[in-house]
Amino acid sequence: MKKEIIKSRLTGDNCIHVKHSSGLDIYIREMSGFSNVRALFGTKYGSVNTMFRTTGDTEYTTVPEGIAHFLEHKLFENEECGVFELYAKTGAMCNAFTSFDKTCYLFSCSKNYTENLKILLDFVQNPYFTPENVEKEQGIIGQEIQMTNDNPEWRVFFNMLNSMYHNHPVKIDIAGTAESIAEIDADLLYKCYNTFYNLNNMVLAIAGNISADEVLAICDEHLKPCEDNGLETVFPDEPDSVVRHEIRETQPIGIPIFHLGYKCTPVTDSKEKVKKYVSASITAGIVCSESNEMYSNLLNNGIINSSFSCEVFSGEGYMAFIFSGESSRPDDIRTAVINEFARILKDGVCEKVFRRMKKSAYGALIRQLNNVTAVAGMMMNNTLNGFGVYDIIDTFSEITSEDVYNFIKSDLTEDKLVLSVIEKAGD
Amino acid sequence: MNYKREVIGDNIGFSTIIDSKFNTCSLYVRFITELSNETSAVNSVACELCTMSNSKYRSIEELSDAAAELYGGYISDFSGRRGDVQILGFSSQWICNRFALEGEDITEEMLDIVHGCILSPDIDTKNGGFRQNNLKIAQNNIISAIESRLNDKRVYAVNRAYEIAFRGEPAENDANGTIEEVRNVTAESAFKAYMNLLETAQIEIFYVAPEENVTVAEMFRKSFAEINRNPREYKICSKSPLKNPPENVTEEFDVNQSKLLITLKSNSDDYFASDMFNIILGGTPVSKLFTNLREKMSLCYYCSSNFYAEKNTITIESGVDRANIEKAYNEILHQIDEIRNGNITEEEIQSALLMIDNDCSGIGDTPAQYFSWYFSRFCFGDSITPQEYLQKISEVTKDRIIRIAESFRLDSSYCMLNKESAE
Repeated sequence: MKKEIIKSRLTGDNCIHVKHSSGLDIYIREMSGFSNVRALFGTKYGSVNTMFRTTGDTEYTTVPEGIAHFLEHKLFENEECGVFELYAKTGAMCNAFTSFDKTCYLFSCSKNYTENLKILLDFVQNPYFTPENVEKEQGIIGQEIQMTNDNPEWRVFFNMLNSMYHNHPVKIDIAGTAESIAEIDADLLYKCYNTFYNLNNMVLAIAGNISADEVLAICDEHLKPCEDNGLETVFPDEPDSVVRHEIRETQPIGIPIFHLGYKCTPVTDSKEKVKKYVSASITAGIVCSESNEMYSNLLNNGIINSSFSCEVFSGEGYMAFIFSGESSRPDDIRTAVINEFARILKDGVCEKVFRRMKKSAYGALIRQLNNVTAVAGMMMNNTLNGFGVYDIIDTFSEITSEDVYNFIKSDLTEDKLVLSVIEKAGD
Repeated sequence: MNYKREVIGDNIGFSTIIDSKFNTCSLYVRFITELSNETSAVNSVACELCTMSNSKYRSIEELSDAAAELYGGYISDFSGRRGDVQILGFSSQWICNRFALEGEDITEEMLDIVHGCILSPDIDTKNGGFRQNNLKIAQNNIISAIESRLNDKRVYAVNRAYEIAFRGEPAENDANGTIEEVRNVTAESAFKAYMNLLETAQIEIFYVAPEENVTVAEMFRKSFAEINRNPREYKICSKSPLKNPPENVTEEFDVNQSKLLITLKSNSDDYFASDMFNIILGGTPVSKLFTNLREKMSLCYYCSSNFYAEKNTITIESGVDRANIEKAYNEILHQIDEIRNGNITEEEIQSALLMIDNDCSGIGDTPAQYFSWYFSRFCFGDSITPQEYLQKISEVTKDRIIRIAESFRLDSSYCMLNKESAE
C-alpha cells in the first residue's frame, strides 16, 4: 500500500492517505503535542439513500424512511455485548451520527487509542440484528422521534426542505417516522448493511496523538477485504422549482423562529462543487457581517437579533443557501434579503468587504486546523463529499469577487426562495 | 504546558497558560458577582454593550470590521449562573502573528480592541452612559435569549427543575434576570452597573497562548490600578436545604414527549464520592440509568444524571411517554436504591475511573479546556491539576459511594406533561 501525502497549498498542513487493500480509504493526521485522538469510521450512507442496487440486481430496492439511522443504532450491539461496554473498559467516549448523506461511528480518547481503534473497526464490521433487538430499538428511536418533533429548530428546517423539494429524499426526516420504522426488520437491516457498509464505500479518518504506522498495522489486521459491489444509488428527478414559497406552523415556544432558504442548483463535478460551495460560503459571510447595511438595518430596527446567521447546505443532488434565526418579523427579513441581493447585483460585490471576508475565513480555517476533533471531522466530511481534504481551504484563496457575484446571480433568485416559520402558539 | 497565576490587583488574578502547540492566543476575563433579581439583568446588558463598541471603534460596524481585518479575531460576552453567583465576562481569540499574510501585528491590535472594550468603553457624552441605539440591540438579544428557553424543551425543563429546587436561594435566579428587568435597564444604569463590576467584582483573567507575552498582564495591571477597587467576597458554593416532604411540580404543555426531572440533595462534603456516585448512576452510556431505562426497558432515548457540585445536588433527566412517567420515576429511584444497597460492581467503578482518567488526560487540547479547568478549580477554592484530581477520585472506595448515595435524598421533581395524552 502506498502512503500518499496530501498537502494544503495555503497553510502547508498535510495528512496521509492510504487506499487500503481492503478497499477502505484511510486518512491520518499525526498532531504532535496533542493528547487526544479522534477517529471516525464512516460510510457514504444517509437518510437520502432510499433507493439503490448492486451488481447482479436487476431491480432497485426501496427501503423505509429512517433505516440508515436505525442501522446506526443497531450496530452498537454485537453478539456478546454492547459496544458501550467495550469502550467502558478503555475509558473512551464513543458515539455515532447519521446525517443526510453519511453515517459515522467515532471515538475520542487520550489513552489506549490502539485498543479503541480495534474496537471501532471490529464492531462496525460485525453486525448483529435479531427480531428481538430490532423491536427493542423501535421503542428507543420512537422516543428520539418524539423528542425531535418537539424541537422547533428541527421542524422549521424540515418544513423548509419539504417546501423546497418535490421528490428528493433530503426532505424526509433522518430518523423516519413511527410508521416507517415499524416496517424495519432484521432482514432489511442486513440488506442495507451489506450494500452500504462495503469498505469501498467507506472512509476512516483519524487525527491526534497517533502514529500512522501503528494505525495502518491495526487496519491490516482488522479490516476484512471487500469486493466492490458496484453500488448504485439513484434519486428521483427533482424540478428546479420549489413546492411552495411559504410554510408556517405553530408550537408552544417562547420566540418565533424562521428559515429562509434559496433552492440552489447542485453541481456534480467535484472541482465546480467546491468552488460553488466556497463562493456561497463567502456570500454568507458578506451578508451576515455586522457591517453589512442590510444586517445593520435589521439589527437596529429590532427585526433580527444575534441569532441571525446564514449557512450553505449541500449534498448529492441538493444545495440550499439558508438564513435562519429568531424573529417575529420574518416577512420583513425576506424583503430585506431580496433587496440586498438585488443591490449587490446592481452595484457589484465590494472588493474591500470581499477581501475582509476572505481574511476572516482564513483565520477560522487556521483555528480549525489546530483542533483534533475538527481535523478528523474535516478529513471525513470533505472526502465523503467528494472533495480533497484541503480543497475547501485552498479554494478560499482562489475565489474571486466575480465568482461570488456569479453565484448570487445564478442561484439566489426570488422564484427559488422558501420561508419557513414556527410561530408562537397564542400569538 | 506552563501554568502560573499572579495577583495583579485587589482580588484580581491573572493566569498565564503557555502551550507551544497552539496557533491562537485566547483571553478570558471573568467577573464574579452576586446573583440577584436586582443586578443580573443590568449586568448582562452592560457586558453585552461592552462588546459592541469601544472608545476607539465607536460603532458595531467599526468594531466588527476591525476584528474581521485581523483574520476574524473576536470578542464575545458571557453571562452565566454558577451556584449562588453570577459569572460575567468576555472571551476573545485571534490567530498568532506568524499566520498573518500581510505582516500585521495581530496580537497587539486585538489586545488594543479587547482592552478598549473592557476598560475603555464607548460612552455617550450626552447621557454619561452607553450608547442608546446599542442598548436597544443588547436588550433585544437578552430578551430573546430568555424567551427562547421555551423553544428547547429540555433546557426549559432543567431550568424549571433548578427554580423549584433552589427556591428562596440566589441560585434560583436566572443569569439574565427577567424580561421586565431587562426592559427596565437604561443606558445610564447599565454603565453604572459596569463601573460597579469593575470596582467590586472578584476578577479572574486567563491568557492562553503558544508563547509568553508579559505585556498582557502589565496592560491589565496598569488599567486596574487606575480603578478604585473595593472588591466584595462572594460565596459560590453552598449546600441547598432539603425540602421535606419533597415537592413535586407538574405542568402541561402541548408537546409530544413528556420530561421527567428529579433533584437529589446531600449534606455531605465528600465531593469526590459524589462525583463517582453520579457517574455510576447516570453519567455514562453504561450507567445504571442508561442501561436499565433505555437499553433494558426501552422507555426513553435519554436518561442521565448531572452533579451540580456548587449546590451539592444531582439532577436526573429523561424524556418519556406520559404513560410511562410513573414507571420511569420508580425505576430511577430503584436504581438509586441499588447503589445504596451496595449493588455496584468493580467493573462499574473501574469504568467510571477510566472515563475520568480519559477526560483528565485530554484537558489541554484546546485553550477553552485549559481555561475551563483552572477557572472551575478557582471557583471551588483550590488549584489542583487534572492529575491530582484523578488521584483523589481514585481513592474513593465502594463504601464511600454507598455512604454518599445514602446521603443524597429526594428534594423535588418536575414533570412537563404532554397535554394530548391526558385526554
